[in-house]
Amino acid sequence: MASAADFLAHSQHPDGGWGYRAQTQSVSYVEPTAAAILALKDDAARGRARDFLLSIQRPDGGWGIAALDPESGWMTAWAVLALAQFPDAHDAATRGAQWLVNMEGLRVTDEPSRAVIRRRLQIDSTLRGWPWQPGDAAWVHPTALAILALGAVGKSSDSRARDGLVYLFDRAVASGGWNTGNPEMLDRPVPATIQDTAVALLALHAAGFDASDKRVANAIQFLRDVLVRAKTSAELAWGIYALRDWRVDVGDAPTRLNGLQNDDGSWRGNPFITAIAAMANQK
Amino acid sequence: MRSEAGFRLSRRAFLRLALLTGIGAGAAIIYKQTELIGFDRMFRWMVRGNAARLFAPKSRVALAACASYDADVLGSLRSAWQAAGAPDLRGARIVLKPNLVDYVGINPSFTHPRVVQAMIQWAREMGARQVVVAEGTTFRRDAQAILDATGYAEMLAREQVEFVDLNYDDLVTIPLKGGFTQLKTLFVSKTIHEADLFISMPKLKTHHWTQISASVKNLFGIVPGIKYGWPKNTLHIQGVPAFLAELANSLPTRGCAVVDGIVGMEGDGPLFGDAVASGALIVGSDLLAVDATCARVMGFDPAQVEYLDFAAWAGVGAIDESKIELVGEPLARLQRAYARPPQLG
Repeated sequence: MASAADFLAHSQHPDGGWGYRAQTQSVSYVEPTAAAILALKDDAARGRARDFLLSIQRPDGGWGIAALDPESGWMTAWAVLALAQFPDAHDAATRGAQWLVNMEGLRVTDEPSRAVIRRRLQIDSTLRGWPWQPGDAAWVHPTALAILALGAVGKSSDSRARDGLVYLFDRAVASGGWNTGNPEMLDRPVPATIQDTAVALLALHAAGFDASDKRVANAIQFLRDVLVRAKTSAELAWGIYALRDWRVDVGDAPTRLNGLQNDDGSWRGNPFITAIAAMANQK
Repeated sequence: MRSEAGFRLSRRAFLRLALLTGIGAGAAIIYKQTELIGFDRMFRWMVRGNAARLFAPKSRVALAACASYDADVLGSLRSAWQAAGAPDLRGARIVLKPNLVDYVGINPSFTHPRVVQAMIQWAREMGARQVVVAEGTTFRRDAQAILDATGYAEMLAREQVEFVDLNYDDLVTIPLKGGFTQLKTLFVSKTIHEADLFISMPKLKTHHWTQISASVKNLFGIVPGIKYGWPKNTLHIQGVPAFLAELANSLPTRGCAVVDGIVGMEGDGPLFGDAVASGALIVGSDLLAVDATCARVMGFDPAQVEYLDFAAWAGVGAIDESKIELVGEPLARLQRAYARPPQLG
């Protein structure tokens, strides 16, 4: 059986990047490319990937989802996280981080609207998080990624990162964990998801929180509980990765994850999921 | 008639002046009211809408009764498809797009896999060259978890049909032809762009943003998450009725709809509503006419559903009873009074 590293090496595109489907996708996207950089140890492959990311950085300092995207967006955080690994890409990563600092989600601040949103959705619409793309409201996943990215370039104490943490806690589901960013919808609790919770927990750990914080403890407990029932490679990989980051026992989840690995070393033939699974196994 | 300046104004001149003043004031009001959109654009939509209402042929929509998912779903679908005059699929590459918004337990929020399975079988019976099932889930990034929980993974494996995750597919840019939103172009999945026919296969249900959710709301799922996020809120910011009209108007592939109303969902949709045994399949090639019929099946007046009213006004499709030819099972036999969704405000 091939390893995850073998699969990633074979599925790297000639331009140095990766897509989401090794067999059928020829476009290189920023997210799987950045995740592969973080997962791989092979300097040559990582170097080609770094060069790909540098080649598609936009003039404003950010990254779109791929070379074909004319607008910077949430994947900027992934590019910054990956390029922070390379001393010679420091300037590019810093410019990317600055793009993130300048970007904030659409906020609703007028009092009547804010009150309605607070009553029906149980969220504070005035808080600053990060959107998926300019012009959008903030959501949990891009906010957590941006906090991680700012931390990777030494900007954890930037006020935007601190605002992002406040945003994350506001969006936490009462019973523990996070979903996209709607803890309630018209008086109904909306369940947390593994992936959103995992990314938020990674951000909180990088920002220096510890498990004695009740909100963190609730989220860890949620993740432990659902990981027992998780069946898909993406859920298992993200859950293991985040819990191991917090030094929490993950039981037989790694065995179940590795039982889903294909003979070509991949999980679902997907470079992105494979990179996350590889990182989960390395933790 | 004498003005303050002292000169006489004949009755005819006065009436002309009043008329001109009225027209001028009316134009100023219309200009002000349409300032955000632009009067010329508004006028174009109005002309197109009126032309469609006056000259477009009736849209045909077929209703079929199907008591449960254990009944002959394929038979009901086949008869509805033929009655609707839906496209011949011989040699076609088709994309079936169910609504798999999320899985939250027993709530019937998603298109039942049995209906999609019947469509796969019917497409093959007609000689379709390629059939794929595709969806871009709204809330979770991992569609596999939803496929597993909803029974789709098992059905797709049995039928040996590929699933394409529209959130991660390769992308093409399409022009948004209607001009209903601020967006000029949109990224969409290459799989849909290259297909010969796109079949929207929604669940018949209520929705707290749009009142009803059927074949047009289901189009939100074709928008890729990697660009527009989870949920695809950027599109909400464009205005839900306008964006839905734009999606229906700019769909890059010929479309039609097969709606799963065998068990519908009422109340707090799109996720938390309750099951309604409606026993209906609704099929047609004009997505708006299909959705207007869905509204009537659920006991809603289509003209009171904002996205339907707007899209029909702008000429995207038909919602008026006089412009829809209903065939198959009589509407009255399938109509139910669905509980209304809660409102945000």
